Amino acid sequence: MPSPRRAHPFNVQFHDLLRIELTNWRWTWRAMVVLGTAAPFGSIVVLRLLLGDGDPDVLAHVFAGNLALSLVFDVQMRVGNHFQFMRFHGTLDYFAALQVRRSALVLAVAGAFFILSLPSLAVLVAIGPRVLELSLQPSPLLLLVVPLSTLPLTGIGAFVGIVARSPAEATSLSMLIAVCLGSGAVIPPHLLPAWAAALTQLSPATHAASALRSTLVGPLAAELWVNLAVLSLFALVTLWAVAGKLDWRGA
Amino acid sequence: MSDHGGSLTEKVGHAPPVYRITNLTKRYAGQARAANEDITFDVNAGEIFGILGENGAGKSTLVRQMIHLLAPTAGSIEFLGRPLGPNASRQVGYLPQQADALNHLTVEEALYYTAHLRSLSATAAVEDRDTLIRCWHLDAIRSQDSATLSGGQRRLLRIAVAAAGRPDVLILDEPTSDLDPTRRRMVWRNLRRLRQTYGVTIILVTHDAAEAERVVDRVAIVRQGRMVAIGAPSRLKDVVGRVLQIEWCYPASEPPRLPDGVVPEQRGRGCWTVRLPWRDMLELLQQLDPAKVEDLRVTMPTLEDVLIHYAQSPPRASVQRPVP
Repeated sequence: MPSPRRAHPFNVQFHDLLRIELTNWRWTWRAMVVLGTAAPFGSIVVLRLLLGDGDPDVLAHVFAGNLALSLVFDVQMRVGNHFQFMRFHGTLDYFAALQVRRSALVLAVAGAFFILSLPSLAVLVAIGPRVLELSLQPSPLLLLVVPLSTLPLTGIGAFVGIVARSPAEATSLSMLIAVCLGSGAVIPPHLLPAWAAALTQLSPATHAASALRSTLVGPLAAELWVNLAVLSLFALVTLWAVAGKLDWRGA
Repeated sequence: MSDHGGSLTEKVGHAPPVYRITNLTKRYAGQARAANEDITFDVNAGEIFGILGENGAGKSTLVRQMIHLLAPTAGSIEFLGRPLGPNASRQVGYLPQQADALNHLTVEEALYYTAHLRSLSATAAVEDRDTLIRCWHLDAIRSQDSATLSGGQRRLLRIAVAAAGRPDVLILDEPTSDLDPTRRRMVWRNLRRLRQTYGVTIILVTHDAAEAERVVDRVAIVRQGRMVAIGAPSRLKDVVGRVLQIEWCYPASEPPRLPDGVVPEQRGRGCWTVRLPWRDMLELLQQLDPAKVEDLRVTMPTLEDVLIHYAQSPPRASVQRPVP
């Protein structure tokens, strides 16, 4: 009688799944960079024209907000669409029948979309400061801030992709959430009504923008640690919810 | 209580069945009718077992429980003598129905990753990938994006993916539905070779009775969530009787004289069909004028007739023992 097989350890599964996720996008990543860059870059140019030679703090806010907006488009929306694709096209069944770990799949998707978001982020970091006439003072903490900024957005995107009842619903929900999250990050809070400024604090994109601003433009302030704590909390809660909600073995 | 239909087990020895399914019931929330109700059967090592039923009969729900993708509401599933769990189902190769499940992986990537995630070492997965590419004639498309393959190529790839990682059991859901006759034959030649060489057990899920009849050792017929018959195709045909069906075409203006009591069913202009016991059939054939017969076919009942018989019968409880 054949003996039961032992699964590969978590790290081997994660490695395979990450490579699967990345290779899935090898033919379309250039289009992803263009699309992920276009909206934030357009927003930077328009706001620059509107604000003129404005307050450097406001321009720094615009710059970092648009970096966060790029992450929202590149990560949250695409992860949402990807999970709904996997649900409705049998990919989740394929992985579930292989009995890979749910957490390995969720983290592999998060890792892949983080890597895929880097080119558009790099393009914006290269071009944005020239348009806005900002000088950058990047901190090594940026290496922590960028991945931590993508994780909650991955979690939100994946959750939308998993709970939506149809592909159309997933796309609409993703777009609605992207607009809500992104607009709060791009517009400086002092230009918003008090209640709207308070609401933006509930968005991980706002904290991602604040953390990116601190680590790219400076100064490094205590607020950065608050931002990192909030982003970590968002990441933990959303990814935990995704792992729990993922319909791996239907009831 | 249950017989499990285990005749092959008895013949080949006392090895436990690959699957032992006992009183399996699956109810989805909010649905009045059970998707599967009180289903009991065994699948024996090395057999080709068919699960046959019309669309919506509950075949896919049954299979999803057998590969640990769906939890049963009641009843049990044993795999190789142990309760079915995640480790056990790693030994099962499954072909999902959806064509896009492999997303944009190339042919060789899909085979390698599947074999590796099914617990083979990296070296063994590479060997397995190359063997599968050779066996399934995929060499010309090995570097091609699976999303750009033709329907037939994609179907072949999905069967090869199900077989990747050297599983002990293959569960194939409509495996040949998009394939031309040449590829269809190649599929069954390869699957039979897998069974003969490695003892792989194959479970075929289909609504194509003609195909099932050609390839399976035993078949379970599922209707409205219940298993209404199980046994070898030749035995199941007894249900519709050992009659012959004759179909013949004659000049429409000169219909043949038939024995008393034989009422044919007209199938078209000048064409008739009738079912008769063997001895009456000989009498009927003698009455036909060979000079006027334009076409003539005599056939035995098929598994399709059995399926139609059950589809037209009133629903009843799941059977607990095979057709003798």
